[in-house]
Amino acid sequence: MSHTIASTLLYLRLTTIKGWFTSRLRRLKQPKYLVGAVIGFVYIYSFFIRNLTQNGPRRPGTGTVAEALSFVPDIVAALLLLMIALNWIVPRGRAGLSFSEAEISFLFPAPIKRTTLIHYRLIGTLTTLVLTSLFLTLASGGWAVSGMSAWLRAVAWWVVLGTVSLHFTATSFVVTRLLDRGVTSLARGALGIAILVLAIGVPLVWTLMSLPAPTQEDLAGLPALARYFETALHSGPLPWLLAVPKLVVAPMFAADARAFALALWPALLVLAAHYAWVLFSAVSFEEASIARAEKRATKLAAFRAGNLRTTALKKLRDPFTLRDSGRPETAFLWKNLVAMGRLFTPRSALVAAAVVAVGCSWLVGADLRGGQAFVAVAATVVLPIVLFLGPMFARQDLRSDLKNSDILKTYPLDGATIVLGEMLAPIAVLSVMTWLALLAVTLLGPGEQIPAYVRILGALAVGVCTPFFCALQLVIHNGIALTFPAWVQSVSNHGEHGLDVMGQRLLFFAGMILLLALGLLPAALGAALTFFAVSWLVGPIVAAPLAWLVVLTILGVEIGAGVRWLGVRFARFDLSSELRP
Amino acid sequence: MIEVTGLSKVFGAFTAVRDLSFAVRPGEVLGLVGPNGAGKTTTLRAIAGIIPPTTGQVRLAGHDLLTDPVQAKRALAFFTDEPRLFDYLTVRQHLNFVARLYAVTDHEKIATPLLEELEIADRVESLPAELSRGMKQKLAIACGLLHSPQVLMFDEPLTGLDPLGIRRMKDSILKRAKAGASIILSSHLLHLLEEVCSHVLILKRGEKIADGTLAEIRARFGNGDANANLEEVFIRATGGSER
Repeated sequence: MSHTIASTLLYLRLTTIKGWFTSRLRRLKQPKYLVGAVIGFVYIYSFFIRNLTQNGPRRPGTGTVAEALSFVPDIVAALLLLMIALNWIVPRGRAGLSFSEAEISFLFPAPIKRTTLIHYRLIGTLTTLVLTSLFLTLASGGWAVSGMSAWLRAVAWWVVLGTVSLHFTATSFVVTRLLDRGVTSLARGALGIAILVLAIGVPLVWTLMSLPAPTQEDLAGLPALARYFETALHSGPLPWLLAVPKLVVAPMFAADARAFALALWPALLVLAAHYAWVLFSAVSFEEASIARAEKRATKLAAFRAGNLRTTALKKLRDPFTLRDSGRPETAFLWKNLVAMGRLFTPRSALVAAAVVAVGCSWLVGADLRGGQAFVAVAATVVLPIVLFLGPMFARQDLRSDLKNSDILKTYPLDGATIVLGEMLAPIAVLSVMTWLALLAVTLLGPGEQIPAYVRILGALAVGVCTPFFCALQLVIHNGIALTFPAWVQSVSNHGEHGLDVMGQRLLFFAGMILLLALGLLPAALGAALTFFAVSWLVGPIVAAPLAWLVVLTILGVEIGAGVRWLGVRFARFDLSSELRP
Repeated sequence: MIEVTGLSKVFGAFTAVRDLSFAVRPGEVLGLVGPNGAGKTTTLRAIAGIIPPTTGQVRLAGHDLLTDPVQAKRALAFFTDEPRLFDYLTVRQHLNFVARLYAVTDHEKIATPLLEELEIADRVESLPAELSRGMKQKLAIACGLLHSPQVLMFDEPLTGLDPLGIRRMKDSILKRAKAGASIILSSHLLHLLEEVCSHVLILKRGEKIADGTLAEIRARFGNGDANANLEEVFIRATGGSER
């Protein structure tokens, strides 16, 4: 690599990193990002850094625990070996390095040697892994059993991640060479399985044959079991197979700084060998790199658009016939149901309801108590998940359409109509899912304790409240998206991550919970007051439905006011100025 | 009819458009030109109701955009330089969706010839991802024209079109103008504007520096050359720089 090229690429790398940091710092000028950064820092400090600094370097565990954990390095090395072996078998495409589209545009046509490009990319990957290693060190702080400092553990993480990453790249290079020589994916898969059988299966059988079966004493406790595993990992050919993986993971489990220094050099040698392997593999990586960059750009664009499904789009049939006249909100419901996929149609909902009804009736008729209990418990678990988490994940509303806000705003519709129309699809889908779960619970509920008519009335009451409850949450989610569009991934202003973004997400979640509680409070108070007052005056038979009507009315008013406010906000909303740094 | 009076748009400390007034009568095609950053797109976005103006009034087909936005937008079609389409809707589904929003009755009778005119009739079941950029542009145009708008605004309409597509687009714009539509066309392709536009408005740093028919603009900035083309006029009018 010539000095000029190296310095140019270094300049590119450093300015990119500098630009990233500068843009994050500049963003902190906006109070909402500053608040997010402070909360993110406090969170990381409270949960990770404080533990590291307060507890200081940990002493190796003692007694039975230390004994039980003594075989962990061997287990980790075995897992590493298994992961590498699987990487050889699982079909992969041609060799490709993860260049960005901009890097491909500028660097591929530039007068730069291929090995220089590989150096550039590999160093870039290893640099990125520094941040990942730091994160993993913080996140795994509580697991530390050695006496090493956090910094040394970060280095150990980096060595492991770097070696695995380089090995995977080298694997793809070897595969490409095989493909270029006419070896098909199928043949390679068969070859890989053969290698796996030879490398793992045979030694395993060998080990099992040479190792006595565990006795009652071996299974008596954790230390005994640990000793047995340790013996197993040191029997037959396994020590030989695990030798190199153990070198790689050894720094992670060093007892102290001196042991770490001794373990680091062999691990670095393995890493360097992998680096050289990739560098001197003379295969064509350009084509696959371009394809990979395009695929990543498409995935990123889809993710930013709030669409977690990143596979190729399929033509989706109309969920129902959209007539030319009628409420415009229905058009948004139709559009978003199309986007949600072919499962989300009125017909599918009816079929699902029929399946649940027939299936549950059959379980009751056949007196299959175990099946009944299983389905009832599953439906009971699904209910709160759909009700509370569903609105967060069913994002086919304004959150996924903010990127189209320019075009939405040219439609002859007021903001509230657009907002309500956008929310209808998630409300419908979540309501139907809840109703299906309610149907199962009602049909399979404990008949002895709760009479059927009470179960049916209860299910009807909850079922009618469900769309209101979902709508209230969606008003909150869409309100946050319109107020802080940069917080919402659908319009993420580069899809980047950072302390401020983490803090924002925490704040977002806390805010959502708080707003939901505040939104439900009037309905709960109103219902309670109505119930007790009417119960006292007339009786609970009249009080219960009246309280239920009060809940619906208050939630309806809140949702109406929320949608109206969101409509005004949407009319004034300008995505480009919201995302202006 | 498009009537813009005292339009200004301020982003923080930056004034993107300052006190802009002009009118486009039925049958007129106004070419909006200016150097990069002159405020052309901001002007179009404000007139289309996408961003609220800081001050000023916009009337489309007689309806005030601020006080009666729904009626004003019913007369409008806005075409962005980058076609904005819904990823999961096919060509047919896009038209179905737009027809419902604008209450276009029996929309297929309008859509079919429109798709044939735009030469995408054979792609009705395609998703945007399966269309070329030019075809996406054509789909956006078909969606915009479905409700026969009286006010049309184009922001760089020829981006991504092939030569034949450009020719057809020019014809289409002139056809709509002859039918009585008021049209604003923003583009850097000055020869296109010369062919299509009846009027020109030159913006620089958010301010109007010239407004009138092509002949009037030539007379003002042509240095006495009655045959000066719009490019020469533009360079003289803007001083040959963005600043």
